[in-house]
Amino acid sequence: MESKTTPKTIGIPRAISYFSNYPFYYGYFKGLGIEIVLSDKTTNATINNGCKHVVSDTCLPIKVFIGHVINLLDKGCETIFVPSLQSSAYKVNNCSKIRGLPEIVRNVINRKITIIDPEINKTEGISFKDFCLDIARRFDIYDSETINSAIKKGWETYNNFHKMTVAGLSYKEALQNALDGNLVTKPIEIVKPLSVVIMAHGYNLFDERISMGLIKKLEKMGVKAYTSLNITTEQAYDSIKEIGEIQYWANELELTGTAAYYMLNNRVDGIIALSAFGCGPDSLMVEEVQYHAKERGMSMIHLNIDEHTGEAGFVTRLEAFVDMMMRKKRKQIMSSDVINLMHTAVAISKKTNTKAEKSKEEVIKI
Amino acid sequence: MAREGNKTISQLDSSISTGDRVIAWPRMGNIDLSMEALVSSLGAKIVMPPPNTNKALEIGVRNSIEGICLPYKLNLANYIMALEKGANTLMMFQAPGSCRFGNYTKMAQKTLKNMGYKFDMVVFDMYQSKMKQTLRAFWHISHCLNPFRYYKGFSTGFNKAFAIDTAERLLFYTRPRELNKGDAERCYKKWYKIIKETSSILGCKGLKKRVIEDFKKIPIDKDKIVPKVYLLGEFFVLLDPYTNQEIEKTLGDLGVEVQRQIFFSDWLEHVLQPSLFYKKESHRERCVRYAQDYMKRAIGGECIETVGDTVYGARNGIDGIVHIMPFSCMPEIVAQNILPKVSKNEDIPILELVLDEQTGKAGNLTRIEAFIDLVKRKKLKKERNKELV
Repeated sequence: MESKTTPKTIGIPRAISYFSNYPFYYGYFKGLGIEIVLSDKTTNATINNGCKHVVSDTCLPIKVFIGHVINLLDKGCETIFVPSLQSSAYKVNNCSKIRGLPEIVRNVINRKITIIDPEINKTEGISFKDFCLDIARRFDIYDSETINSAIKKGWETYNNFHKMTVAGLSYKEALQNALDGNLVTKPIEIVKPLSVVIMAHGYNLFDERISMGLIKKLEKMGVKAYTSLNITTEQAYDSIKEIGEIQYWANELELTGTAAYYMLNNRVDGIIALSAFGCGPDSLMVEEVQYHAKERGMSMIHLNIDEHTGEAGFVTRLEAFVDMMMRKKRKQIMSSDVINLMHTAVAISKKTNTKAEKSKEEVIKI
Repeated sequence: MAREGNKTISQLDSSISTGDRVIAWPRMGNIDLSMEALVSSLGAKIVMPPPNTNKALEIGVRNSIEGICLPYKLNLANYIMALEKGANTLMMFQAPGSCRFGNYTKMAQKTLKNMGYKFDMVVFDMYQSKMKQTLRAFWHISHCLNPFRYYKGFSTGFNKAFAIDTAERLLFYTRPRELNKGDAERCYKKWYKIIKETSSILGCKGLKKRVIEDFKKIPIDKDKIVPKVYLLGEFFVLLDPYTNQEIEKTLGDLGVEVQRQIFFSDWLEHVLQPSLFYKKESHRERCVRYAQDYMKRAIGGECIETVGDTVYGARNGIDGIVHIMPFSCMPEIVAQNILPKVSKNEDIPILELVLDEQTGKAGNLTRIEAFIDLVKRKKLKKERNKELV
């Protein structure tokens, strides 16, 4: 009886799956007629709040997630969406901490809280449809037509978002447009002297406090940064196969897939790996990519972050890496045939010029 | 989004002829006894890597990446040492979907190939159809056609595992109660040797009984108040005495009875037997049942076992829990986050020990001693309250 009288609102923490799946959640919950309350953007206070509740060995993104949950509780929202994303395909599992996220939240927070913890586990046969139905059931929605149309709306927003990011819009712009229901494809691409690919989880990279504005910083240095959002899932999946690896982690597409795609197509000058300290999957994936990058002679840097990371040290390492890439590129251009080609081109143009002048003179003579 | 997952089964390499195969596997507690019995009865040659020591760890650390967990480093060291001794076939089981453990073989293969070794790695995938996978792997290394040899191998292997685990259980029970210090340890060592040397089927079947009889002969103080402590945590650290710094011995010498829930033989029985023949509630099922109040789902690794056993222990008269894990172990970190609440709700003290290559023994010893003092005081208080009532 109680659940029917409560207003239908759901709190979504701005962490973990928010960054890759929020367009879907937005469309889906809107379709179901549920109001969404978002937590505030990550600040130092969020991280400190999170650190107070979990053990110190836990990685930074989880600490941030707990901080966001507390932020939502402080706002007065007691129904909180904590999905358990167990596996994305047969035998392709997620990190244990993401799989056990509802378990951590349930046991760590000692306040009144209702956790909506739908599960998706394709290894054990719990499909995406079950995931959606489970959410609807918690809000006493059983009408299959409403649910189906909501799922459709969710996918629409999600697909629009991805179309825009693949076309080259930044994360923020694409998200804003997708939520407004627009589909913008920007044809202009600014050419920068250098380009890198960042291999990182969405929740590390697009959270501006965690990544310390990495993309913006790179842009200021004259570096174009490609991320996992700039390629399609299929491209990422095929690239993993092409470099001879097997997808083991559910979020391997975001990291190995992206890095592999740009490495194979030779579209970047370097790879930046950004991972949280103590991240299990990253420790393996970064190593894998490092091995392939070494084989191909591609420069790579591994930036580790945790709640104590200072910005100054971070920037210094980044600057050094960019400088190195710049020098490498200059050297490549100097030593390559491009210079010779240019010399010959100049010579040829001179010759033709003199010929033309001669012919002119001849004409005048005649 | 819709696509098929990885259904590739580990490919078997047949470039090494069966006669030339020299087989090795990584060390983990008493797994050697059973594996040796099985592989040698199939007629294959064996090389044993030396036991895990600081030197082995050093080799492992040097050749593996920084972020990976301790068990991998030791496994890799075992492989390298075995290959140096002349092995050419490495065996390993893997369970995808648990944690980083599913990636061990892939990583190790790449690292070893980079180092210039030539070998064939036989991997049993422990996800489904375990018995079939196991038989296939053993057929691949031995090409043994004689079913009697398989029977002999599995029978002796299983019975040896049961016997050594019984001996270990009795050792844990006897050590804090023995009247003459060192009796139990000596008895265990004696039986370890005997179990290792026995090779006949009938001899192995009788081992368990003989072990029990022999341990009963040790004089013990039956009325001594001995607090019971559960030793829980990650599979490898629990079973490997080097990695856990012989924590069972330390605890036993402090006058505490250690009970370990995970034994190799239990795991073998549970994993290899077809579910049709396995009628009684397995350890894992019991854990899932007890962990219900705290966890709704298994999340890989031994997380749910740790939580479930803690609750089970608290409700069945256990006085304390020692939870050990390697540094940065993902499932155990989740367990670590859940345990404080369990400890509070079920009123049971818990000690967390994180182990890695930098762990010093003295620091851990101090913590263990302090914890045991606490457990003992609590136990005495309980006993006194009982007497008063």
